[in-house]
Amino acid sequence: MITRDEFRRELRERLLASDEKILLRVVVHPDFDQPKEFTGKALVARAEQLARSYGISKGRAVVLLLLPHSPELVLLQLGLVLKGHIPAVLAWPTSRVDAEKYQRNLVHQLSHLPADQLITLPRLAENLAGSVRCQVTGIHLENSATFESAFPAGPLSQQSEQRQAEAGSSGPLSDDTLFLQFSGGTTGAQKAIAVGAEMLSQQLRRLGEALEFTADDVVASWLPLYHDMGLIACYWMPLWHGASSIQIAANDWVINPELLLKYVSRCRASFCWLPNFAFSYLSQRREFMRSSFELDSVRAWINCSEPVRRKSINAFSNTFADWGVEPKSVQASYAMAETVFAITQSQLGKQISAIPRACVKQSSQAYGHLAFDLIDDVYVSSGKPISGTEVRIVGADGSICPNATAGEIHVRAPFLFSGYWGSGGFQTNSLVDGWHATGDYGFLANGDLYVIGRFKDIVIVGGNNIFPEDVEAVVNSIEGVYPGRVVVFGVEDTDYGTQSLAVVAEVKDEFSEEKAVQAEAAIRKLVLAAIGVSPRHVAVVPARWIVKSTAGKISRRETRQRFLQERTAVSLEGGCGLAT
Amino acid sequence: MLPDHAAIYDAAREAASQIACRPIKEGQRLVTSGLIDSLSVLKLISLLEKKLSVSIPPETLQPEDFDDVDLIVETIERVAEPAS
Repeated sequence: MITRDEFRRELRERLLASDEKILLRVVVHPDFDQPKEFTGKALVARAEQLARSYGISKGRAVVLLLLPHSPELVLLQLGLVLKGHIPAVLAWPTSRVDAEKYQRNLVHQLSHLPADQLITLPRLAENLAGSVRCQVTGIHLENSATFESAFPAGPLSQQSEQRQAEAGSSGPLSDDTLFLQFSGGTTGAQKAIAVGAEMLSQQLRRLGEALEFTADDVVASWLPLYHDMGLIACYWMPLWHGASSIQIAANDWVINPELLLKYVSRCRASFCWLPNFAFSYLSQRREFMRSSFELDSVRAWINCSEPVRRKSINAFSNTFADWGVEPKSVQASYAMAETVFAITQSQLGKQISAIPRACVKQSSQAYGHLAFDLIDDVYVSSGKPISGTEVRIVGADGSICPNATAGEIHVRAPFLFSGYWGSGGFQTNSLVDGWHATGDYGFLANGDLYVIGRFKDIVIVGGNNIFPEDVEAVVNSIEGVYPGRVVVFGVEDTDYGTQSLAVVAEVKDEFSEEKAVQAEAAIRKLVLAAIGVSPRHVAVVPARWIVKSTAGKISRRETRQRFLQERTAVSLEGGCGLAT
Repeated sequence: MLPDHAAIYDAAREAASQIACRPIKEGQRLVTSGLIDSLSVLKLISLLEKKLSVSIPPETLQPEDFDDVDLIVETIERVAEPAS
């Protein structure tokens, strides 16, 4: 067992051992050619200096970081750990959000998080100071003005939250907690996982062994630090192993995907973790890329965070074959914040396995209610459990499923979390006999895990988990929408191999085209502000359009089916979207 | 040489309508209204590049540069280069 203090000491020593080697490159808008570079020594010095300057003076505090992609964000997360605090990175909003609505929603979110301090940009800090209970600290970044321009100065007009989680309630967190990571990405009712020293070191060691990861490796990433793949695989893995990483902002990558390939080529990167959609996204952009890149240094392009689609990985390896991407370099992993990160990993240097859908049995008819489409004819393996990790598939009746029979994925591992941290403090009743029921649907075949989709109605948009209930709560508050008559679900985006968000809302009074147009605009704007994701589909419908079950409960699945059927019918007539 | 202003305007309106799956009116916000999501902005750029036979270097751009038809036209005239 490694204690928190031992971990911090060892981390510091490991970083200082790389005194002249550049361990971190942070690529910052607008000068993408001149990343901010830090050797191991500079990394420790700057991280500790930032933590000293901005971290609360209290000994062990939960510190929320709400900052755009910047060297300061990356370094503060490390510096606060080194100082003994417990940082947690919150998602920075897209610049497209409505500032007032975003800030109100943020206050609501913060009221559920028992944190001691929030570190954010100065203007946001001033605006929020009177509305949240924890200490709010502003930090000026080189490009603060660009990001702050979206937020007009001025405190929020009224204290909007009565309920406030107790500040300073980090006591119930286990003694070895190093930092928190959120399980739901960007969503409203945030639940965090406490990552302890033993959990983290076990994960980094065991995943490192599976990947034969060494100090010579280089990780290129556009994944944000509020995502487990960005934080653990792309930041902490290289930090702990003395390897290098390149950090690019997600917003910059989305509009300029070749930026990632440019840095892979320039820094001879050897690892790149990407959600499934990114494989399709990069492939589709290839014909417009203006330079060519050398990608043969990459030992593994690891597909993770979304079900792996064969179409996406084939498109990627075919499209970039002439730049050095080999099919066997495309790999897969199954990971979640609850286990710090990886549970399985495919074997490097070997093409990943696939199995036809026809060969897979369903364990029970009881799974007929699944709210996702089984769109694949072939399922792609996410690899074998990494050392010390157990995976089992459980049927609806609680029995263990045999080979190639689908059911719920349960996991047990030395790096498994012990509970969620949120509005009720630290909840430790999330496991049964040490097993975590993941809510994912899949099967084991010849020792490999195949992930089909989700039991829970979570929508995975570009690797981010969106809880439909959060979006529904936001939409329910909109003027003109019938409260409680809103359904949110995912629709497959076959172009990019991900899901898009769909909202169906009934109008409160008599339906008219004008009311529907107004409500649709309000829904799009508010969901973007509150959740950070634009719904691709919004259907405002007359009363009683949403389908209820025989028990009178709203049926997400049936409503989704009706939406898809009617949308298809309209498309055949030459329209797009659902006519209402 | 870049296409003329009117051709760019027509292409911008057509491409925006195609991506948003509805006719786009003058001044109608695309990105800040949530009508087009971030993944679709790149689809819009790619579509414009095809329609106008231009290259739009994305390095200095933000999704907001494509927020309405006039902004799209302005962005293309500012940064686009004829496709080689």
